[in-house]
Amino acid sequence: MMICGCLFAGLLTAGAALAEPCLSPYVKRLAGPEKYLYVSAVDADAKDNDFLAVIDVNPASATYGRALTTVDLGSAGNEPHHMGFTDDRTKIWMGTLLSRRLFIIDVAADPATPKIVKTIDDITALTGLHGPHTYYALPGRMLLTFLSSADGNPPGGMAEFTNDGQLIRVFKNPAGAPYAYDAAVKPQINRLITSSFTPLRNYSKPLSQWDMKDGGNTLLVWDFKERKLLQTLVTDPVPLEVRWSLKPGKAYGWTNSALGDSLWFFSRGKNGRFSTRKAADLGKGCLPADLRQSPDDRYLYVSCFMKSEIQVWDVSKPDRPRLHDIVVPGVSPNMMHVSGDGKRMYITNSLLSTMDYAQNFWVRLTHIGPDGRLKMDPFFNVDFTKFPTGPARAHDMLLN
Amino acid sequence: MTPGRRLSVGVLAGVWLLAAAPRLAHPHGPGASRPAVPGRQALSSSPNLGVIRPAPDFTLVDFKGRSVRLSEFQGRVVLLAFIYTSCPGACPLLTQRMALLQARLREARLLPSRVGLLSVTVDPERDSAETLARYAKGFGADSEGWRFLRESQERLRPVLTAYDEWTKPIPGGEIDHPARLYLIDPRGRIREIYSLSLFDERQAYLDIQALLRESR
Repeated sequence: MMICGCLFAGLLTAGAALAEPCLSPYVKRLAGPEKYLYVSAVDADAKDNDFLAVIDVNPASATYGRALTTVDLGSAGNEPHHMGFTDDRTKIWMGTLLSRRLFIIDVAADPATPKIVKTIDDITALTGLHGPHTYYALPGRMLLTFLSSADGNPPGGMAEFTNDGQLIRVFKNPAGAPYAYDAAVKPQINRLITSSFTPLRNYSKPLSQWDMKDGGNTLLVWDFKERKLLQTLVTDPVPLEVRWSLKPGKAYGWTNSALGDSLWFFSRGKNGRFSTRKAADLGKGCLPADLRQSPDDRYLYVSCFMKSEIQVWDVSKPDRPRLHDIVVPGVSPNMMHVSGDGKRMYITNSLLSTMDYAQNFWVRLTHIGPDGRLKMDPFFNVDFTKFPTGPARAHDMLLN
Repeated sequence: MTPGRRLSVGVLAGVWLLAAAPRLAHPHGPGASRPAVPGRQALSSSPNLGVIRPAPDFTLVDFKGRSVRLSEFQGRVVLLAFIYTSCPGACPLLTQRMALLQARLREARLLPSRVGLLSVTVDPERDSAETLARYAKGFGADSEGWRFLRESQERLRPVLTAYDEWTKPIPGGEIDHPARLYLIDPRGRIREIYSLSLFDERQAYLDIQALLRESR
């Protein structure tokens, strides 16, 4: 919680207390253990309306592990995907990859019953960009990445908005590195890094029809205060998540190359310039779809979407990760979300409707031991096939 | 605990925290951001400060009972902070950082002619005019260049709402509120919003200089 007292501690410990890893450092922290898990849900056959599901994750509750309610998005075929909190944690921004709608949802008035407070019907008309992906809180604002231009082709880009959805400005990707995906800021060193996926013209087709060369292999390093591109770094194809080290001031981090089945390390050298190096081979056929961190910066969690496993990598030596553990949570694990205390990780198993191969969708839970090893919870299994509207694809998650 | 006692503890906490915080580098001349070394933050002397939105106008009262209207600051850069004096840690730290900024601005002869600092209490019931005056004095606030403002809860509420600020009392007497500072350009537009936890008065000084350069 961003009460003054907690900030006081946070300034010295830089986010050690109940900070959920992988959220923007500008997002207010939770005051205690999570009670609600919000899940973006895509109607599986795209005939019924998409929704946000609210799952009870308070172990003391009689309805623990069950869906409490759903927030109807009012339309079908949107492919709601990622979400992000505003800096004060009062609202969730949730965008869509196949429509042009974007939803701003209040979670402060009643965290158990979120309410849509604003729908931007045509985010593309507003920005000239399509497919908002990452929702990254800045103080009083949201920074969004977009996978494509308005016509579904590269370049993608970024746009900034006020917390209530007024556009501030737009930055398109450069011609030499037109693909976009994730974004993450390291305020202490004034650097923003963005990564690269593939545009609408590709991801809207069934996976078997994808052009595997129509994607990025770059990380872009920006001067954050100047919003100025400084460097283009190369990795294996399709580097997705950007994860800075959680240690204050450390100028290094990691990304997962989805098509290279590899983990990459980026770091700044003594000359102030960044470089990349392949840090680990994740095994052929992994397709690492998500990358998460432990709050102590010791472990990385990689979801192998195609190999149906989650790998734990010990990054005590940041540029030389060591495989530490593997669990199999079910078919096609994708998004992961680690609790602020680092003891629990929630998992979903839908990536994109055009890529999914699982028959059933779910949210599951793995407990993270003090030794960094994962143990699946056999009793926590939220079945996403039995909603009144039928099966739904569970994708991104946020805790409250 | 009496307000006076809370105040002195808060000020001491802020000073202590500032002393304990990592030592910060001084900005260098014009140019790109400096590489950071552990314990120092990188600065930018050429910040790209987009227009975020018009700064909502308001009229509040300083601890001397004088009305202060934001639009009267047109032509000057304003840094606007929301605080409360019994806040145990971050508010005194922030106010201490604003005191350092005040010193830089005074040295550059920018205060109060070209820059104004405003600190608004979100806790007017406990932050009386006398309490605010003591708080301001404790941080050496310039009576013209750095104004500490309050209003009745009823009149303050629309101001907080206009700045997307909210307050939520929590057990123990603390107040949960979005911890932001707003940098307002001479034309009355919000150009930067800082997070209280990552506020660096050296970067704020460079941002102020950038806005003043624009208005020449």
